[in-house]
Amino acid sequence: MTTKETVPFGVTLAPSADQRAARRRALRAIAAAGAAVLMLGALDPSARADDAIKIGILLPLSGNFAENGQQTLTGLKMYFDEVGNAAAGHKLDLIVEDTQGKPDVAVTKARKLVERDEAQVLTGVVSSGEALAVNEYSRDNKVPLVFSGDAGADELTMPGPLLNPYVVRVTQNGRTVSAAAADWAYKKGWRKVTLIASDYAGGVDVMHGFAQSFCRLGGKVTQENWPPIATADFGPYLTNLDRTADAVVTFNPGADGLRLGRQYSEFGLKGKLPVLDIYGTVVYESNLAQLGDAVLGMYSSLFYTPMLKTPENERFVTEYRKRMGSMPSNEGPNGYVGAHALVDAIKAVNGDLNDKMKFIAALKAVKFPSPKGDISLDKYGMVIQTMYIREAEKVDGQIGNVPIATYPNVDQFWPFSEAEFESYKYTYKDLKGSLTDCGKVLAKK
Amino acid sequence: MTGRVGSFAASVVALALLLALPQFLRQYYLGLATRMLIFALFAMSLDLLLGYAGLASLGHAAYFGVAAYTIALLILRAHLGSGIAFPAALVAATAIGALFAPLALRARGSYFLMITFALAQVVWSVAFGWRSLTNGDDGMPGVPRPNFGWSLDSTQSFYYFVLAIVGLAALLLLAIVKSPFGRALRGIRESESRMQALGYNVWRYQFVAFVLAAAFAGLAGALYAYFNRFVGPEYLFVIQSAEALIMVILGGAGTLIGPAIGAAVIVFLEDFVSSMTQHWVMVLGIIYVLVTLFARHGLIGLIVDYRQRRSEP
Amino acid sequence: MIWVIHTLNGIAFGMLLFLLAAGLSLIFGLLKILNLTHGSFYLLGGYIGLTVMRLTDSFVLALLAAAITIALLGAVIERFFLRRFHLDELPQTLLTFGFLFIFADLSLWIWGGDPLMLAQPRIFAGSLPLGDYVYPYYRLFLIAVGLVVAGALWWFQEHTRLGTMLRAGVDDAEIARALGVNVSLLFTLIFAVGAALAALGGVLAGPVLSVYPGADFEALILAFVVVIVGGLGSLRGALAGSLLVGILDDFGKAFFPEFALFTVFVPMAIILVARPTGLFGRG
Repeated sequence: MTTKETVPFGVTLAPSADQRAARRRALRAIAAAGAAVLMLGALDPSARADDAIKIGILLPLSGNFAENGQQTLTGLKMYFDEVGNAAAGHKLDLIVEDTQGKPDVAVTKARKLVERDEAQVLTGVVSSGEALAVNEYSRDNKVPLVFSGDAGADELTMPGPLLNPYVVRVTQNGRTVSAAAADWAYKKGWRKVTLIASDYAGGVDVMHGFAQSFCRLGGKVTQENWPPIATADFGPYLTNLDRTADAVVTFNPGADGLRLGRQYSEFGLKGKLPVLDIYGTVVYESNLAQLGDAVLGMYSSLFYTPMLKTPENERFVTEYRKRMGSMPSNEGPNGYVGAHALVDAIKAVNGDLNDKMKFIAALKAVKFPSPKGDISLDKYGMVIQTMYIREAEKVDGQIGNVPIATYPNVDQFWPFSEAEFESYKYTYKDLKGSLTDCGKVLAKK
Repeated sequence: MTGRVGSFAASVVALALLLALPQFLRQYYLGLATRMLIFALFAMSLDLLLGYAGLASLGHAAYFGVAAYTIALLILRAHLGSGIAFPAALVAATAIGALFAPLALRARGSYFLMITFALAQVVWSVAFGWRSLTNGDDGMPGVPRPNFGWSLDSTQSFYYFVLAIVGLAALLLLAIVKSPFGRALRGIRESESRMQALGYNVWRYQFVAFVLAAAFAGLAGALYAYFNRFVGPEYLFVIQSAEALIMVILGGAGTLIGPAIGAAVIVFLEDFVSSMTQHWVMVLGIIYVLVTLFARHGLIGLIVDYRQRRSEP
Repeated sequence: MIWVIHTLNGIAFGMLLFLLAAGLSLIFGLLKILNLTHGSFYLLGGYIGLTVMRLTDSFVLALLAAAITIALLGAVIERFFLRRFHLDELPQTLLTFGFLFIFADLSLWIWGGDPLMLAQPRIFAGSLPLGDYVYPYYRLFLIAVGLVVAGALWWFQEHTRLGTMLRAGVDDAEIARALGVNVSLLFTLIFAVGAALAALGGVLAGPVLSVYPGADFEALILAFVVVIVGGLGSLRGALAGSLLVGILDDFGKAFFPEFALFTVFVPMAIILVARPTGLFGRG
């Protein structure tokens, strides 16, 4: 007879008898566990004798950002596979860790990759929260970090407190994609626009990038709508939308973009108010078939579209579809370009990553054609690339984002010079709610 | 008597082992051990409420997170030092505990779970939604570790700092549960009405237990903010609260050592499994189910059961 | 006219919340279980509906398939897991939390991480002109469905034998048992019905909100807000709470956009302080 049945679960779990004995045994159990930990510590998983170069990949593979992580990983692996997972005579060891989309987990995993697995360079990173946290780790511990996931916060590669000499970014920043959109919108003859953007740092960054360029050309934002991330219902915003504007500019990543696309036509706005979708969050590749005709005619701006007719891109799309069974959006090409930059830089330093600054310099010097277009980097380690304005059209029965305008060699300050960009008084962080005020947006220091 | 001697000896061995750990462990695992210690404190604080006072809270992350945010906000936004921020974090967690306790203590059982859950969710929504202050879900990186004359920036020195604080806190918790106050709590857990009849002010005991649990959870949260040099809204989320519950249950509620072991096991498993498979969320879910179904008395209970079965022919 | 549209929006969103909250509240009222798996029932319902819709192009079949599958799943969870811990709230809560994790990962595995949107039933495509504005027919349909479900549940509770048993069981399961009610069967049945309601909510929300990883937690939290505001275990409370939260959310976002996230949580906090049993809860 044991006491099992008579001891209820929960609040009275504690065995009333033998508590002291239990504790003694528990302490022994701790000692045993401690010994196990010691053994684990002594085991050295990375102490293999070969001279492989270890690349730590930090991507969200579970949780809400899992799809972004998975696509970026596919892009990375595609390029590494292309070069046979080797560069400069060294084998490339890819060690993937799941960040779960959480900044603190991302840092823990970065630590694990560097301190336990002895990764010599980190890459990946999707959300801006993860990016800011891992950036900090990379700087404090002098670990080269190549952003090949979204990681779009402007200040990561601009002069300022966050600038990290060990960082290189081949993806994009918040403002340039929207600066190109603003230029195109003005040339199209639009002078007044309203906007709907997700209410977070990235959303404000993007819309500030738009307003700054649009104001300087002579346009104006008439109204700002900031639905929170994961807004279930855009009804209130769509009902309130300024219908006298020439167009609506949108930026709503994730499920928000899909909902907005559907609800926009439901609320009768399609055909009345054109949409310019920065980053293509509504016309995201996996949304197109789901939204169907509702997206036809929507404009968007991005540094990529799978419809590009270049040999690099056509080869990339074919292989990507073979692996994933779907069209690539921005993540796959970003991962692919990140891997390409890493491999080129490893070759340039002959596989010796011990001189970190030399390796970073080699990364900053890479230059190659890619599925996204021609890639090079500036002195801060930020990518210089092509921006595309796209229009959702039916091509052979499938809806796709067809490029209708091209902005080559866009650097992170475009269309401004670095000096002019730095002369503005306010950054995006100060301007949410003031984007309708061109005087404030363009105020000089 | 031999039991007491054995227990003392085991304690000495365990302490010696913990003190010697940095000599053996690689840096990363020492960090993992630090995390285990912090969550051991978090789980023990919840156990004061669950195992001793008999109140199961699904919102314990609130106090953990409030303390962590207080540290980050005071240091990064108000530019104060840890000399102020650290005690302020404990005060904030305690104050939130004292604010929530009267609301939660109106309920029992499932209602208590739900109200603590809802209250924590309100705090979470502030951290998540008040972006201009908290950076929303980007969180706040760059929390500097305290420097009380010696630097805590190295993994080793921070480990010893955490070990000292968690050790002291554990002793304090032990003193609390051994005190007449702790005995009264257990009495209330067994039968509220009987204790009421004996003239105890049940509500007041539960209130104090609730607030103490919040304060110790806040201590763990403050340490965690320093450990990660980062705070984010997931510190406040229901997943964190549920994790504390499972740590307590897995180890064995109603003992202090049990939840500490439970915390170490869960922290280790999460670290281990999430590197093995991207389906660690499922593994974690399965652990929840298995623990509930088969480890009803916790690891401590398993040991006792085993011992009893062996001693009974 | 703009006020009419905002009000309709609030009601439509409220009706979705009602489907979620009614099941949660029903289960809590009778079984006293804090069912965190409720979010998964919503999510899985949405995904199953989506798959059936894509295969058969029939919205009705999508609704039926989701409701039946999730009802069975709910029955299994109640019978073989929660049943072991009757009235022992902590293990029940932890079990439902474990299942929430398991189903979240399972659906990411099966359906991937991209947000997926259900096609609308074709007869409800298009919009109703209202002055300068238009209003989607599908949302009017949602309002109608919500009202029908609320009416059906009320009729079931007040005018059927099962409903009488349910009310007796909510008041005191032991007395109901003594009166000859098969409480065990009733529990399983009600748990299944509650789960099916959440699944219906998932399918009906699919064409508006889409289905995606994380929707389970979002739905769960909203459902809890509603039952706290409305009062646990009360159908009237679930309806009133849903409408109140839905309308407050819409007007809050439209007219106090800087507080968009708090339009849901602030009313809940106020209710928790002022009226802990909710608007229509039992004291």
